[in-house]
Amino acid sequence: MSLTQIFIFAALGLLAGRFYKVFSRNWLLFVASALAVFWLQPASPVRNLFFILPAVSLGLAAVVWALTVPADYALNKQDASAAGSLAGLVLLLSASRYFDPVCCLTASRPPQMEITLLVVAVLAVFGFLVYRLGRGRAAFLNFGILLIIAILIVLKSPSLAEWAGRGIRGLSGQDASLASSIDIGWLGFSYIAFRLIHVLRDRLAGRLPQVSLRDFVTYIVFFPALTAGPIERIERFAPQLQSEFHLDGNRLLGAGRRLVVGLFMKFVLADGLAFFALNPTNAQQVDSTGWMWVLLVAYAFRIFFDFAGYTHIAIGLGLLFGILLPENFDRPYTKPNITAFWNSWHITLAQWFRSYYFNPLTRGLRTGNMPPWLIVMLAQLSTMALIGLWHGITWNFLVWGLWHGVGLFVHNQWLQLTKSRSAFAAVPSQVSTLLTFGYVSLGWVWFALPEPDNAMRVLRTLFGVGA
Amino acid sequence: MKDEIVTQLNQYITTQILKRTDKTLNPNEPLISGGLIDSFSLVDLALFAEQTWGARIDDTELNAQTFDSLNQLAELIEVRKAN
Repeated sequence: MSLTQIFIFAALGLLAGRFYKVFSRNWLLFVASALAVFWLQPASPVRNLFFILPAVSLGLAAVVWALTVPADYALNKQDASAAGSLAGLVLLLSASRYFDPVCCLTASRPPQMEITLLVVAVLAVFGFLVYRLGRGRAAFLNFGILLIIAILIVLKSPSLAEWAGRGIRGLSGQDASLASSIDIGWLGFSYIAFRLIHVLRDRLAGRLPQVSLRDFVTYIVFFPALTAGPIERIERFAPQLQSEFHLDGNRLLGAGRRLVVGLFMKFVLADGLAFFALNPTNAQQVDSTGWMWVLLVAYAFRIFFDFAGYTHIAIGLGLLFGILLPENFDRPYTKPNITAFWNSWHITLAQWFRSYYFNPLTRGLRTGNMPPWLIVMLAQLSTMALIGLWHGITWNFLVWGLWHGVGLFVHNQWLQLTKSRSAFAAVPSQVSTLLTFGYVSLGWVWFALPEPDNAMRVLRTLFGVGA
Repeated sequence: MKDEIVTQLNQYITTQILKRTDKTLNPNEPLISGGLIDSFSLVDLALFAEQTWGARIDDTELNAQTFDSLNQLAELIEVRKAN
């Protein structure tokens, strides 16, 4: 989100807060979120993709809703209105191409009406078929999870993304040889996908609360959390839509405070640090150990202020509309060990992986005869490798994940060792905080630099080896 | 009944997880957010509750939002046990 977009969302919250007696907050959030999916989507070099991807995001949310409703569910008027509104909004946005004064909410001029009609029709038929044939059926729910994971893998893997880009360029009659891995920049899909998997998995476990189509779509594409999370859970989000909300002075103050802190963190601190934070270019220009540490520490704080600032902004915007989103950070760099760091860094992503990967895996392994240390190692390394790969299926993110997996494993074993032997004096907390920060910072080298040679050179310089 | 569950949980956590037989936990002490119990021990705790009382705690519930103290966990076990 740009500064302008944040201010417009905040202004909408302030203005709408005065009129909830006249119109429904839930319909406002639904329409605003659906429009924001198009508004926030950046332009794409592939024709019409900037319009089709947001339409598919909304379509996917509606299809997954149809898949997860109870088998005896009867569609009601509100669901029909929500489905109709979704189709209507997409068509209306497409029609704006013909009206220059109101064109365009989207990054470029929307596609011709017949293309939009085709996209809407395909999604509607797909949703109807899923509702009639597959709702609540385990095979369909599992297939849905696999399909979303497959799309994520294609988008996150540079070679597969380029291959998909070639295919889509071919379909749209463009030169396939110009395809690149960033052709399909699907805004917010990493977060949308994880919310969808969460609801599909909870439906399989019989734990999904019943939510209307309108509120379900709002949950999946809620505009404050669309681009960078946090990953809220539906059972926490949906009830907040049911409770009455008035934007009073206290709430306004709370939201304003979060927005000011967030804007300062992101646009002043993070953007200021970006001038000298580690990046592939300056990594090759610096030869001194001291300066390399300065770049690395600047990067560590830059990535924190950027992401934590964004979370403050998302929470602040949410509060303006009466939705309390979960926290994603809890002073991570002050934690005395790597386990505590991961309980306070990107909390909602770590919690998602615990719920849907780490806990089921550990539960399964614990019931076998495997030695505990091996279970800990397998679970920690594989979970952190997956968290790394979620950022992108490239070697550097994998190494970053494994670096943290090793840290978590070593810390766990250290605790096992010191727990039963009181002779091991506890390390003073300032020292352990500094060590943890150092370990996390060294991990950022892999995160910041995609080229292995560059990363190794930086690590050697940091330790004064062969610089 | 709840007190009995708290006592058994207390004994299990101090002897099997914390390995501190000399320690007794306060029933309202934050176990997860306080850093006393890590993610592995949480899974062990869920398996212990399942084996001892037949109370299933889902993988998505092993976090401080669902329960953070012995009292809260005992309440959850009581409800699940009844079902």
